[in-house]
Amino acid sequence: MNPVLMQCKIEVLRIIRNPYFVFWSLFMPILFYFIFTKIFNVGGADQQEWQAHYLMSMATFSVMGSAIMTLGIRLVEERSKGWSMFMRLTPLSDISYFFAKMVGQTVIHVLSITVIFTVGALINGVSLTIGQWLLSGIWILLGSFPFLALGVLVGAMKKVDTASGVSNVIYMGLAIVGGMWMPIDVMPSFIQAISKWIPSFHFGSGAWEIVRGNYPSLLNIAILIGYLFIFVVLSLYIRRKQEVAV
Amino acid sequence: MEAIIKLTEITKKFKDRVAVDQVSTVIEQGELVAILGPNGAGKSTTIMMMLGLLEPSSGKVEVFQSHPKEKRVRSLIGAMLQEVSIIDALTVKEVIQLFRSYYPAPMSFDELVNLTGLEEKDLSKRAEKLSGGQKRRLSFALALAGDPYLLFFDEPTVGMDTISRKRFWLTIQELNRRGKTIIFTTHYLQEADDIAKRILLFNEGKIIEDGTPADIKRKLTVSSVSFVVNDLASLAWLKSLPYVTKVVEKDGRIYVETEQTDEVLTALFAGEHKVRGIEIHRGRLDEAYEQLTRKDDLQDESSIDAM
Repeated sequence: MNPVLMQCKIEVLRIIRNPYFVFWSLFMPILFYFIFTKIFNVGGADQQEWQAHYLMSMATFSVMGSAIMTLGIRLVEERSKGWSMFMRLTPLSDISYFFAKMVGQTVIHVLSITVIFTVGALINGVSLTIGQWLLSGIWILLGSFPFLALGVLVGAMKKVDTASGVSNVIYMGLAIVGGMWMPIDVMPSFIQAISKWIPSFHFGSGAWEIVRGNYPSLLNIAILIGYLFIFVVLSLYIRRKQEVAV
Repeated sequence: MEAIIKLTEITKKFKDRVAVDQVSTVIEQGELVAILGPNGAGKSTTIMMMLGLLEPSSGKVEVFQSHPKEKRVRSLIGAMLQEVSIIDALTVKEVIQLFRSYYPAPMSFDELVNLTGLEEKDLSKRAEKLSGGQKRRLSFALALAGDPYLLFFDEPTVGMDTISRKRFWLTIQELNRRGKTIIFTTHYLQEADDIAKRILLFNEGKIIEDGTPADIKRKLTVSSVSFVVNDLASLAWLKSLPYVTKVVEKDGRIYVETEQTDEVLTALFAGEHKVRGIEIHRGRLDEAYEQLTRKDDLQDESSIDAM
């Protein structure tokens, strides 16, 4: 089998077998979805809209989590256990390895989105047009790139404990302030002001617009690209500094 | 014979010390070389430079006539590093198959299992759940996965029990018979002596001896002739003999260090030297090596040899 393809397959296997991934990216979002659409019905007048809205919130929440935490913590683990160094002895290049990781993550995101969408369709009978399902899926997939870059940034940390602590705080902070748990309309106004500037809100926004029959705004796209750029530049800078330190 | 590794005056400096100091050597195809030396002698650092994981501060490392980081070189080598690092969430079989996929002409799966002594029941276990000894075997399998021409082992037998150790060395000798070039580090003289065809003896970052185990043993051990004499002043002539390396006094006896004890005896009997109680001492190899090692152990606390 082609080494890069094999590496991609292996990365997918490793993520699926990771209990943290299954808990945070599949179990939790589905549980939340069930609680907030079935038990406490927070939605206002338009029941159907709320169920579709919250389905998008949970799908973005799930994908953001595996992009930041699953990827970031694993990168730190691989480096601290000497695995990354060992990989440098094999003919597989650093770039192929990194590429395989990104492909692996993306495949996993497709899986998470499919599972969560299916749950929505099954338990609440959320019905969107084929176009809306596809477009929101693609939006979530592409919108995950800045969060993958943030995961790589987390991956530059030295200790697994620090990385998991820090990424947890970032993840929860982004989810709450970004309106993924509760719509930002119910938040105090100063939090709403912050929300407008953070990537998770724009990530969610795009999907929320799609289920309302609209499209993601240019601002949503611009802010996500901006964050992608910042995180990539920061990662490259830190990586260079770490290489010099050796 | 083709030179597989060529080191030209390589030096590696870390912040506060020189780990490897102006080392030059050539290793040819089919050699089985032990890099022997006490902890902190620069063995691992040298291996890391041969592997391209560390860049020398000065000097040049060539492996298969290229820089060790070249992809071509990496498909020809295999290595087992000191720290056992195993990828998680995969079974032993999956890790081995993954590694086989990296190389153009991998060793067959069955042969890898055979050579490394992995057991059938271990193959479906998760790699991170293996015992220390089993992890060692897996690392060995990963080193061999590409059916490499050149193999590196950094302190391979640390943590192995006697049986695994014996099996490991038999496999190494078998691989060498098949024409593979093998380099390993050890701080056990016995291992180097039993296994290697050539020993590079390292101390304080330099190669202090390079030769067959027999050569090294002869050079490390010192023979001496000792005796008692009344008139110490008349001994100056002994030091001037070409085959005498050192004359020392200890506990009232004179010790003449030499490789040619017979000649010293002849010289002693030739003149009117009035020597009494003559004894011949054949130096012991392990003692000589231990002395070398002990001296270094004192400085070893701050060692960064393990990186």
